[in-house]
Amino acid sequence: MDKLLCLDSISLTYHTKKGETLALDNLSIDVQKNQFISIVGPSGCGKTTILSIISGLIKPSKGNVTIEEEQVTKPSSKVGYMFQRDNLFEWLTIEKNVLLGLEIMHKKNKETKEYAKALIKKYGLEEFSHSFPSELSGGMRQRTALIRTLATKPEILLLDEPCSALDYQTRLLVQDDIKSIINEEQKTAILVTHDISEAISMSDKIIILSHRPGTVKKIVELDFDKKLTPFERRSEPQFSKYFDMIWRELL
Amino acid sequence: MKYSLDHKKYLRKLCMQDIFIHVCRILLLALIIGLWESVANSGIVDPFITSSPSRIINKLSEMFASGTIWNHIFITLEETILAFLFSTIIGSIIAIILYLCLPLKKILEPYLVILNSLPKIALGPLIIIWMGIGTKAIVTMGVLICVIITIISMLNGFIAVEEEKIMVLKSMGANKLQILTKLIIPATLPNFISVLKINVGMAWVGVIMGEYLSSSAGLGYLLVYGGQVFQLDLVMTTIIILCILAGIMYFLISIIEILINRKRK
Ligand SMILES: Nc1ncnc2c1ncn2[C@@H]1O[C@H](COP(=O)(O)OP(=O)(O)OP(=O)(O)O)[C@@H](O)[C@H]1O
Ligand SMILES: [Mg+2]
Repeated sequence: MDKLLCLDSISLTYHTKKGETLALDNLSIDVQKNQFISIVGPSGCGKTTILSIISGLIKPSKGNVTIEEEQVTKPSSKVGYMFQRDNLFEWLTIEKNVLLGLEIMHKKNKETKEYAKALIKKYGLEEFSHSFPSELSGGMRQRTALIRTLATKPEILLLDEPCSALDYQTRLLVQDDIKSIINEEQKTAILVTHDISEAISMSDKIIILSHRPGTVKKIVELDFDKKLTPFERRSEPQFSKYFDMIWRELL
Repeated sequence: MKYSLDHKKYLRKLCMQDIFIHVCRILLLALIIGLWESVANSGIVDPFITSSPSRIINKLSEMFASGTIWNHIFITLEETILAFLFSTIIGSIIAIILYLCLPLKKILEPYLVILNSLPKIALGPLIIIWMGIGTKAIVTMGVLICVIITIISMLNGFIAVEEEKIMVLKSMGANKLQILTKLIIPATLPNFISVLKINVGMAWVGVIMGEYLSSSAGLGYLLVYGGQVFQLDLVMTTIIILCILAGIMYFLISIIEILINRKRK
């Protein structure tokens, strides 16, 4: 399989007035095309930091990040980053929110607009295109944020705890949504989460990080029938086996 | 749409409360006017010192009949609008520059704070010497009063915009200018409107103060003149006119606010 993204012995130190924090230490991750990877680990171990590095928002202190053999030095349109909170702009309609990335990248034209509108329609937000974010439910807002990220056609999606702000019921629905959207659009995704079941139900591979400074502690390859939705995975026999294994690692 | 009985009751209650408030407001005004008039007429106080509503109305009709008042109103209004526009525009531009260049903001911060707490009237003599006597000096006074607070409150608004929203745009590859136009300015529009509202009031303060310092016409001039020749009717009448004008300008800004809000939502 083609290696799409490669983090090669990354270290990152945050410098502040009060001191320095080694957030990541010699961390290497490879991601293949169309893979769905989850990163789990204790709070503060540097998960968000990894995503920020991949997106080009911060530079690693040591090591290299490459996407398709090309070194990442600044944000690029190959990566779409969905933050923990939806960060929708309250003064823009849903449609305008979705078009934001295209506008920033000067890629807004008839064709890309059609694509964005098609996404809105496909994922059930058409009747809300002209509503404002405050009129939407939490799950719909999260979906909007995902579509906004997809609209610029990134190859790699970075998802930072996309469901943590949602209640349990909605979370299960949004997990199914996100997974099916990403499968259908054939994207590569890296999901950061606290929630072990979320990681197991959605990904092909789980990377478990150690306490800070974050390094790869263990990699778990998941074996599920490709056709299962995240929700269906939860009732598979191997689900609890994986859960147990990962939970022990995180202790 | 059909409402339930309870909801209708609730709506009626709201409506009654609204009416009550309005009636009370009018009654309060009537009470003040009535008391004032009767106290002035009864001889408890000298209407020469306190003036009275009837005297004010006489004065008003006299001034409007002779047409002299229009000139004063136009001069002061012009100065106020100029001061308001200049200070808002200059203040916004400076705030944007300081936001785009944060080191400069840090360097200038203590000076801004000191300038903000300085009573601007202290600069009066300088303004007159530098700008000469007249409109220019008066508008300058108005601008000085508004501009610093405009800069500070707009800058604070800019800085309070959520860091994560900035990160979202940056992750899309946005440059500083795009962050400013797509995020910072629209996000701080409500703040900008409240700055406008404050500036309307402050511009009046500055202009009247400027007219106290040096003027040959305008409402501030009328106030000073009326005080000097002990024409309290003139002073009171001018204050009433000022109240009405300031109220109208505030009302206009409120309409702009409503229009902007409607467009957004
Ligand atoms: N901008 C920053 N400046 C200084 N230190 C930081 C900064 N951002 C993060 N850190 C520190 O780096 C470490 C890793 O932070 P990071 O946000 O990547 O953790 P995380 O795994 O995403 O945590 P959580 O699960 O709580 O979201 C933390 O200890 C944090 O205190
Ligand atoms: Mg985090």
